[in-house]
Amino acid sequence: MGEVILEIKKLSNFFGQVCTATNLDLKIESGVLTSIIGPNGAGKSTLINLITGNLPVQSGTIYFKNRDITHLPIHKRVRLGVCRSFQIVNIFPELTVFENIMIPILTMAGRSRRFFTKTTQEQESRSRAAEVLEKVGLSNRKDTVANALSHGDQRLLEVGVALAVNPSLLFLDEPTAGMNPVERVRLLENIRQLSRDGRTTFVLVEHDMDIVFSLSDRVIVLHRGIILGDGNPEEIRRNKQVREVYLGDSVGTA
Amino acid sequence: MLQSIVHVILTGLSTGMFIWLVASGLTLIFGVLGVLNFAHGSFYMLGAYFCFTVLKYLGANFWLGILLGPLCVCAVGFFVERFFLRNVYHIALPYQLLLTFAFVLIFDDMVKMVWGAGSVSPPGLATLSGSIEILGRKFPVYNLFIIAVGPLVALGLWGMIEKTWWGRIIRAASSDREMAAAIGVRVPALFTSVFLLGTWLGAVGGGLAVPYVGILTSGMGEAIIIDAFIVAVIGGLGSLKGAFVVALIIGVLSAFGARFFPVFDMFLTFILMAVVLLWKPQGLFGGSK
Amino acid sequence: MKKPWGTLLIILTICSLIGLGIFSGRFLIYLTIRVMLLGIFALGYNLLLGRTGLLSFGHGAFYAAGAYGLGFFSLQVTGHPLLAIIVGVLAAVILALIIGFFCVRHTEIYFSMLTLAFGMMVFSLIWNLRGLTGGDDGLVGIMRETLSFFGLFKIPIKTDRQFYFLVLAFFLLSTWVVHRLQNSPFGLALAGIRENPNRSEFAGVDVKNYRLTVFVISGAFAGLAGALETLLESNARPFMAHWGHSAEPILVSLLGGLLSFTGPLVGSVFFIAMREIIQRFTENWMLWFGLVLLVVIMGFRGGVVGVIEGLAGKSQKNLKE
Repeated sequence: MGEVILEIKKLSNFFGQVCTATNLDLKIESGVLTSIIGPNGAGKSTLINLITGNLPVQSGTIYFKNRDITHLPIHKRVRLGVCRSFQIVNIFPELTVFENIMIPILTMAGRSRRFFTKTTQEQESRSRAAEVLEKVGLSNRKDTVANALSHGDQRLLEVGVALAVNPSLLFLDEPTAGMNPVERVRLLENIRQLSRDGRTTFVLVEHDMDIVFSLSDRVIVLHRGIILGDGNPEEIRRNKQVREVYLGDSVGTA
Repeated sequence: MLQSIVHVILTGLSTGMFIWLVASGLTLIFGVLGVLNFAHGSFYMLGAYFCFTVLKYLGANFWLGILLGPLCVCAVGFFVERFFLRNVYHIALPYQLLLTFAFVLIFDDMVKMVWGAGSVSPPGLATLSGSIEILGRKFPVYNLFIIAVGPLVALGLWGMIEKTWWGRIIRAASSDREMAAAIGVRVPALFTSVFLLGTWLGAVGGGLAVPYVGILTSGMGEAIIIDAFIVAVIGGLGSLKGAFVVALIIGVLSAFGARFFPVFDMFLTFILMAVVLLWKPQGLFGGSK
Repeated sequence: MKKPWGTLLIILTICSLIGLGIFSGRFLIYLTIRVMLLGIFALGYNLLLGRTGLLSFGHGAFYAAGAYGLGFFSLQVTGHPLLAIIVGVLAAVILALIIGFFCVRHTEIYFSMLTLAFGMMVFSLIWNLRGLTGGDDGLVGIMRETLSFFGLFKIPIKTDRQFYFLVLAFFLLSTWVVHRLQNSPFGLALAGIRENPNRSEFAGVDVKNYRLTVFVISGAFAGLAGALETLLESNARPFMAHWGHSAEPILVSLLGGLLSFTGPLVGSVFFIAMREIIQRFTENWMLWFGLVLLVVIMGFRGGVVGVIEGLAGKSQKNLKE
């Protein structure tokens, strides 16, 4: 608890003329549930893309557990323990729910290079997959093909695939968007629980202020690629600049 | 020596223009519709055969052949797009490619059935025949004509796409199909029109090839389509400018190759494509229109 | 899963194949060998296409590598069939490693075009290097010597009927290997790459590496088929590397069903049966084949296997992508 797990130095990113990240310096501490908020276009997704490897870094450095991961390919970062879920459902559509979860589990267990064993015999991975399904509440859907799921279930699967990697640092990009209240509450409870367990540090991107303020230990406010505010929920609530930005813009809940 | 070089360049340019004509249609169709049309070579071939038929039975008037032949091919193209291709746009790439490939098989055999399995020779044409002396050696007038036609087509296409209303809609629809439909563009009809234009270009290429090659066979589509593909890919799939430039380069290089290093003839275009793709995966002008 | 049905079917098929080898006439034997060769080629190929989603137009190059590899070895070193086959497969594997290394860094169309380019380069090379490869005549005079294991037992494969059983053995082996592969964790990862390469990266999968691996594996099967065909025909020809030949496993897999394991096998039977039948009636068998292809793509994208599964009342997988 409290040790720096991720450190970003002077991270900048331009899409042509548009600057989505300006000289960002940021530290994430392990065990501290962090939320990143900001109006649309603030650069939240860009930041996650840069950290997790979906976007190449133009300038700046990223350290994960004191290792320079700035130019590492995505799968290597994942292996080290940095992972994410996506805002738009990004799963394996024609595979079953169970298969969706098995892929990251087998891979992280170092077993997906096995040519000759049968997937049906990988008992350890199978039971871990069942655990993950339990956590996101999809156990009774495990043999359903992913694109036959309801939207809410797909979003649960989306988070499930990310959880299955069992990362030390997990970025969840608007995980509860499109879920009904019951699913939302359950997922957030699970996140809170997992965060307390200490194995995974969660960073959430969210628009729903209730979630942000009730769940997070720390809130970071991004606006136009700059960090506008950084502190615990109370401090952010009282921050003048933040309030201006949010009163000026309409905050949409997804 | 200079004479040889100039002649080789001119020959290369005329070959290159043919490849450009075929590649232009291919690139246009890919750029807007996202489909790589294997059957494009067949449209080229059909263009040649229809033109030949006009020449044979409606009098050896070259211009009539060039006018009517490609139009007939457009009818075929309409049939293909409207009833088959249109239904597979949203499906994975392999199926689209295989659909167009199925048409290659069909058209190849149909040509054999209608015009015979052997080769056919068009009647001699008076228009644009004969040669002109360049640097002391004769060079066919027809080839010069082709060298002139190529840039005209390029200019015409550029004008249509950049300057007309139709062109603007195409550019919009090719970058965001759904959005275009949402603002009222009749995307299916638009796509059909683009496909027809592309097909027409390929067919014109075929028609123009009739006096150039002298002999038509059912394999002529295959020969040129590979070159056209390579040109389109090297130039950057979807880039007309790229296709034009690369077609000329390849034409001239092939001519030099054929004249001075015959062994590497077949090899050359493939190596070039591999090298370019490995260096610049999007092709030389990839990403632009 | 149709467990009891499935096993019964397999046993029946194997028995029929053995029975066919013992009892039928020479022509049917020859035809069945060709079906099995195409089956090996297509089965390996479909690991790349149906399973991983990569469309290669250049696999004929590996088929030819197997063929010419076996040919050169047989003519220059020793005609021992198993050794020669192994050499052929090795040649295919090495070529696939080299070509694959360059191709798998690209995706979709560019991947396909690169494989086309490399495949045709190999074709040109074989065609043009007459002195070495025999040009368009190819390598000739490759004999089927007796299989012997350390001088202990000798199995003649001179006649087609005898050779049939060797091919059958390789065919069954290949089928078993591909089946195990598909149901392994590796096979699952491949399916993931097909469905969503980006998410596969985020699941920790080194996508380029896996693509290369399956590329090489499918190349190995192509090489095996090529080597066996060379033994069958005593001849290795340049056309094996041509994109027209590379298209065969694609058509066959599509016909049978891209996403099913038995698809390529069923497709091979249909393809060769159709070709034989149609050729009896008309020269224009390509036309008919094109029409069949059209029908399959427009209406029956699951291929023959898809149709059968649909009729059997199973849930047909939704094939819109």
